[in-house]
Amino acid sequence: MRILFNHMKKYIAESILSPLFKLIEALLDLLVPFVIAAIIDNGVLKSDKPYVIKFSLILVGLALAGLAFSVIAQFFAAKSAVGVSSSLRRALFAKIQSLSYTELDKAGTATLITRLTSDTQSVQSGVNMALRLFLRSPFIVLGAVVCSFFIDVKTGIIFSIGLVVLSVVVFILTKKTIPLYVNTQNSLDNVLSNTRESLSGIRVIRAYCNEENINKEFNKNNEALNKIQIFAGKISAIMNPLTYLLINIVLIVMIRSNAISVDNDLLTQGQVIALYNYLSQILVELIKFANLIITTSKGIAASKRISAILNIEDSDEDVNSDILPENGSVRFNNVSLQYFGSSASTLKNINIDIPSGTKVGVIGGTGSGKTSLVNMIPGFYKATEGDVFVGNHNVKEISRKNLRDAVGIVPQHAQVFSGTIRDNILRGNENATEEDIIDSLKFASAYDIVTKKGGLDAVLSEGGSDLSGGQKQRLTIARAAVKKPKILILDDSASALDFATEKDLRNQINKLTDTTAFIVSQRISSVMHLDKIVVMDNGQICGYGTHDELLSTCPIYKEIYESQIEKGASA
Amino acid sequence: MKKQSTVLRILKNISQQKSSFVFVILCTVLYSVLDLFLPIQIGKAIDTLIGPGNVDFEALFVILAKIVIIIISTACLQYFSSVLSNRVSYNAVKKLRKQAFEHISDLPISYVDSHKHGDIVSRITSDAQVLSDGLIIIMTSFVPGIITIIGTLIFMMTLSPLTGAVVIVLTPLSILLANFISKRTHKMFKVSTSILGEETAYVNEMITRQKVTSAFNNEDKAIENMQEIDERYKKSNLLAIFFSSLVNPSTRFINATVYAVAALIGSFSVIDGLLTVGGLSSFLAYANQYGKPFNNITSVMSEMQSSIACAERLFEIIDEPKQSENVDSEVLQENGEVRFNHVYFSYVKDRPLIQDFDFSASKGKHIALVGPTGCGKTTIINLLLRFYETDEGSISVGNADITKVPRDTLRKNCTMVLQETWLKSGTIADNIRFGKPEATDEDVINAAKAACADSFIQRLPNKYDTVVSNESGNLSEGERQLICIARAMLHRSPILILDEATSSIDTRTEVLIGKAFDTLTSGRTSIIVAHRLSTIKNADSIIVMKEGRIIERGTHNELISLGGLYSNLYKSQFEN
Repeated sequence: MRILFNHMKKYIAESILSPLFKLIEALLDLLVPFVIAAIIDNGVLKSDKPYVIKFSLILVGLALAGLAFSVIAQFFAAKSAVGVSSSLRRALFAKIQSLSYTELDKAGTATLITRLTSDTQSVQSGVNMALRLFLRSPFIVLGAVVCSFFIDVKTGIIFSIGLVVLSVVVFILTKKTIPLYVNTQNSLDNVLSNTRESLSGIRVIRAYCNEENINKEFNKNNEALNKIQIFAGKISAIMNPLTYLLINIVLIVMIRSNAISVDNDLLTQGQVIALYNYLSQILVELIKFANLIITTSKGIAASKRISAILNIEDSDEDVNSDILPENGSVRFNNVSLQYFGSSASTLKNINIDIPSGTKVGVIGGTGSGKTSLVNMIPGFYKATEGDVFVGNHNVKEISRKNLRDAVGIVPQHAQVFSGTIRDNILRGNENATEEDIIDSLKFASAYDIVTKKGGLDAVLSEGGSDLSGGQKQRLTIARAAVKKPKILILDDSASALDFATEKDLRNQINKLTDTTAFIVSQRISSVMHLDKIVVMDNGQICGYGTHDELLSTCPIYKEIYESQIEKGASA
Repeated sequence: MKKQSTVLRILKNISQQKSSFVFVILCTVLYSVLDLFLPIQIGKAIDTLIGPGNVDFEALFVILAKIVIIIISTACLQYFSSVLSNRVSYNAVKKLRKQAFEHISDLPISYVDSHKHGDIVSRITSDAQVLSDGLIIIMTSFVPGIITIIGTLIFMMTLSPLTGAVVIVLTPLSILLANFISKRTHKMFKVSTSILGEETAYVNEMITRQKVTSAFNNEDKAIENMQEIDERYKKSNLLAIFFSSLVNPSTRFINATVYAVAALIGSFSVIDGLLTVGGLSSFLAYANQYGKPFNNITSVMSEMQSSIACAERLFEIIDEPKQSENVDSEVLQENGEVRFNHVYFSYVKDRPLIQDFDFSASKGKHIALVGPTGCGKTTIINLLLRFYETDEGSISVGNADITKVPRDTLRKNCTMVLQETWLKSGTIADNIRFGKPEATDEDVINAAKAACADSFIQRLPNKYDTVVSNESGNLSEGERQLICIARAMLHRSPILILDEATSSIDTRTEVLIGKAFDTLTSGRTSIIVAHRLSTIKNADSIIVMKEGRIIERGTHNELISLGGLYSNLYKSQFEN
């Protein structure tokens, strides 16, 4: 809530004026029954036609003034609501940009997206509704009751009692239905994920002849959704008839009591009509108010979810320093890494010293920690124990920007962005010239993609779905190369390339004499010719040296080698 | 035309719950009519309160008793109508949803491949939801709305023809105005929604690739782009919201004016002795009531439009032609024979992909498919499992033409591990058991052990009961492949198909898995698509494909001595 109010400050004038103008409109509405009572008692009953005309014109005047005030109020409310939600959305997006990998992992992608999209929308409608109605509805209800006291104290008391009973009923029913709507939403989510799964897994499902089971599961969830919808419907169906019944009971009691008052000359007929009018107004506003409570409570829930992200205190906060890595050297000093939420260390006691310009291969089994090792160089994750040094400085003392400027990484999972090929490469270095871009594409053997797609400004479809796995990998390699980084990391990012292309790439990398390169791979042929090879096993380094050294000193390396290359087949 | 038939189909669907539907309409009509009598009775009650000492209590009590009966029956009928209309529409939509979902299993895979999944999903979920909400509103607001309008008209005309006529003439003004505004705002909302779509797409793309953005110091650029889109959205959204929020105040204003005119003419009628004071009160109540259903009906109209649009989208799926019927005219022998007979195939009409593909594998042979990306290896698998049908030529499995046996029979004869490591949401054990639900826990663990997956599963927090899903990131690509392999291990059949099944697994594990497969598949035919040449070196026959054609075939040694594409590919891995 505090965060919501902070963002509202920018729209303070609108947020105050809107309800205020709404209040004035409500006040004008409340005057209507008074005018009607006056028309009947002074005009009609005294047969004074000019009086009736005059007061009818007053009614029109009230309506006109009401229109003016409410239009202004709606504008302010809309401006404030749209402004607040936009401001929250921007703050949230900027906050996400600043989060470290650890915090991104903790939060999870899907929820960040819903918070940015549907939650900010909920806040918007909540604020909009609240500004428009929060003062108006209770004011009209209370105002109507107060006015009724002025006309007739007894009726005022009857209204007050009726109002209390009605509020309790509305409150209880609303409270009952909100969790039901949440349940409905959850059931709907199940149906949704069933449907998504049946599409994404269509081949596997059919290959295993599992269609019937999938249908059965869907039908189960579909039935459950149906049941809860009908149940929720039953509860909310009580609302209208019950409020209708209660308000009319109040009406009967009122008429009965008014009859006695009129008989005893304590009340006029016109006043009875006015009281009846107030009662109708109370009913209308009360129902609006119940809706308002639902919308605002949704908005409040959403703003809490947004605040939770905005309030994240990053466990791996960026440092403010001018230190630049001096060269491409990398040193791990007794490093261990344990991911958040994991019970065991992923990396243990890593000690390694790599001079600038070395071309290093990293090999090891599935889950041995290869990716974790290279992800520590650009500081994606910080060591739980020990220190990592890049260019002779501890990564904990280098700012994120400076560190990542020095390191070009090609992640395992090749992700390209929608936009042109040029846009994608420029993400690596926005100051790159046309020549730089072409050079880097050639470096990654990716220039043929440009020719095939029709130029650098050819637009790639969402997520690069019109590219093959190999094409995506080559574009991401070019994106890292255009940075001309001190350290280039290829994390199993040539796996979809054929051997000939991969060999070309390796030759290109060898030409960059000043650049330190890390090539993570499952293929022995990708690393065996490099300067040094790191062999990973179960989170530890079990071998470091050249191909020939490792063949004689590292049994795991030898085993990998033999599993891939038949003895004697190597040419 | 299309609209009409959609409406007819919805009605037909609803009328399957005939008694409930009739009852809903009956209750709704009854309570709307009853509700109309209320202002008359209240007016009459007020008429008994003429003045001091002049109150007709006897008459008043009779009227109050009538009011009690009216309100109790109205409340009950309203409740029934609401509960039943909920049931009718939810049930109708549930059925449609079921039809649509089950229809997916009968659709050709080409349909699912060529349509955005998100779109199909939103048809079955949110469109269905809009339809059911729409049906409820139509049933509970449209009918009472019409009845209230007609009823109030009649009552007003009987109470005071002149005033009634004035109200009738003036009220449509508010509808016209409301229509005018909503038409304008509809356009604004369209603009604003499309910008919102753009923003959502941008945010979606950026957040899913957040780590890349962060790795390349692109954060500021991302914020700048996001704010540019957001600024446009903010402006268009403000306009749309503000103008749409004008509907209420302006119709309220018109109704208030009508009310004032009714008060004026009504008062004159009372002065001229044409109307009682109670009658005036009833009349004013009607004048108030008369405006509301018009507003409701305008919103019901737009609700109807969107319901029809959503129903159409749902029907489109249900009406999509099914894949060809299963034929059961030949007997498939479980002997592992596979034969492609001069097969031609293309996904797009004039872009031939597979051309004259001809090969056969007899029982127990290991066949490998090799070739550059996009040469059609995966397509061959698609054809063999009948995910797609050949354009020309035929495929036979177990000496039976695959189009002449039921698809299930064909697929039960093949075990496959596909390139995509799809996992169903559920536990790991559920996933391994996917093809064989009756498998015991022991079977599951043995399969996982054979697939070298047991050791990492044991390390997970809940072991075999760890919940995974296709989207969850708690497993690496290699681990997902191991689970898919375990799933295949449980499903034993004469033919084994591996499409890049071990691409993310390290080679040592791959060798172990290969041995396990060998024991499983001894005497079985296997077809392997692989990138890594070490995986396929021992195959009985290697088929080298390029641009949809077979260009070389033979054993490893034969192909190496041939000195063609295969030997080039093979040698390149050792060169530097």
